[in-house]
Amino acid sequence: MAEEVRRKGAVKFVFWTLAAIGITTIIVHSFMSGQMANWYYYESAADGYAVNADSFFNATKQRPAILSIRDTDQISDLVAVPVKVGDRLPRNATGVIEGKVLQTGKRAVIDGQTIKVMIPWEVVETKGFRFRDSFEHKGIRTFGWAAVWNVVMVLSLGLALGYMAEGMTDLLGIKLEKIKHFEGH
Amino acid sequence: MFDFTVAGVEAPVLLLVLVGFTVGTVGGFIGVGGGYMVTPALIVFGFPGYMASGIDMTHIAGKGLVSTIRHRQLGNIDWTMALSMVAGTMLGVELGVRLLVYFKELGLSTIALLVTSVAVMFTLFLYTQFETRRAHKKICEMSEKGESIGREIQTSSLPRFFQNIPLSPIVRCRTARVVVSMWVIVLVGVVTGVLAGFLGVGGGFIRVPALVYLVGASTHIAVGTDLVEIVFSGGYGALRHSIEGHVDMMAVLFMISGAMIGAQFGSIATSFVRGPAIRYILSYSLILATCGAVLRLVYVLTGSSIEILSFFALVLTLGEMIFLCIFIVSLVVFAIRHRRGKWVPKWVPPLVC
Repeated sequence: MAEEVRRKGAVKFVFWTLAAIGITTIIVHSFMSGQMANWYYYESAADGYAVNADSFFNATKQRPAILSIRDTDQISDLVAVPVKVGDRLPRNATGVIEGKVLQTGKRAVIDGQTIKVMIPWEVVETKGFRFRDSFEHKGIRTFGWAAVWNVVMVLSLGLALGYMAEGMTDLLGIKLEKIKHFEGH
Repeated sequence: MFDFTVAGVEAPVLLLVLVGFTVGTVGGFIGVGGGYMVTPALIVFGFPGYMASGIDMTHIAGKGLVSTIRHRQLGNIDWTMALSMVAGTMLGVELGVRLLVYFKELGLSTIALLVTSVAVMFTLFLYTQFETRRAHKKICEMSEKGESIGREIQTSSLPRFFQNIPLSPIVRCRTARVVVSMWVIVLVGVVTGVLAGFLGVGGGFIRVPALVYLVGASTHIAVGTDLVEIVFSGGYGALRHSIEGHVDMMAVLFMISGAMIGAQFGSIATSFVRGPAIRYILSYSLILATCGAVLRLVYVLTGSSIEILSFFALVLTLGEMIFLCIFIVSLVVFAIRHRRGKWVPKWVPPLVC
């Protein structure tokens, strides 16, 4: 009987371990190939200028970053690409400086064919915890099916890891019996 | 350090795995997602606040499933109760999120959130602590008289009141051995869902006491059943956050790998203890989280001028994870020693089996 439980445990463990490895490989591959980032920074959710927020993270009021406005498929360094709502974002774009931000002129301002960024990030609060909030992730829209992909992946991984662990304890002969909740009552 | 290109952050992988492990242990033991502990930790690692909430919620869905599978094996899930509650929970979460958006428009979201957190958690702490102490005392008395002691001792009379509500349909929850109006379970789902959606958490720390004190489930079954809810509410939350672009799947992957081990340990640890032990740990978790929320509330109300308050709130929140984890490990070690007839502190035997 114990041998039978162990044998079934071994099969369960091997099957679900392979499943977990497979799911992990898919997630890692999608990250390494850049697909994850492509899906994430998919299209513009606002009219404005797509930028790579990392490239000017250290700009200050005294030493503002000057971004040249250019229409291109790929952002390299200090470039801003004009976009409208629903436009596919250029590669390496990590956020959109919205038109209203430029109109206010507090953090960034248009100066001819360039954008001058004075305040690349601000300290903001969530539930009483403070963090640096930059132009990154602003004005972007994620590919809709990527959200479904995320949920499917995380639940599949949870399922595979859960059964993998169950198979492992069976394989090791660790007997986990159902708790007798009402014994002694 | 790992470059999370989606989140645009470089963060230490080992610490992410470690946070996953600790929260997995605590979550598997007391049936919570642990959002109130993970989000601050991710902010410390450099993730923006909105991203921290999204990553947290997504990892909770996966981790919840890992714990659910183990609790199913231990017989801690009442599927009738869990499935009756799902629709109520989802409706409640949606209402809670809308309420939060309304408060945001009024410009009160942070203060409203913190005040509600403090009020809810402190009330739950007081009741859980008061009731569990009574149960602990009762076990000691029964033990002195040489009576046999079950896995669960509850002294609250609230479940009897709710079980006597004669509203059809009446459901029979076989595993929990509870017969109750389905509307009571649905209502528990809605109310706890509203609070969960409003506070932006999985809601386990509200749902577990609600299942114990209102529906009348034993603590172990409340924990297992709640984890099923967490899979649904976490999955829905993950979808919403992913649509909003608040999720970095690589961070989720690292956290789940740690949480998977922790969740196993936490879930299996429940088989070593009696119900009051789980309720004690839940109540300590509540009071520590309340203290952290009070510090943050004072910090926000004083115009974010006293930096030390924010720092202490953070230390307390992170320290809570480690403290609870050590507490659970100690209980299991003492339970094993007790089973082998070795010395254990006097307060341990009534709590373990």
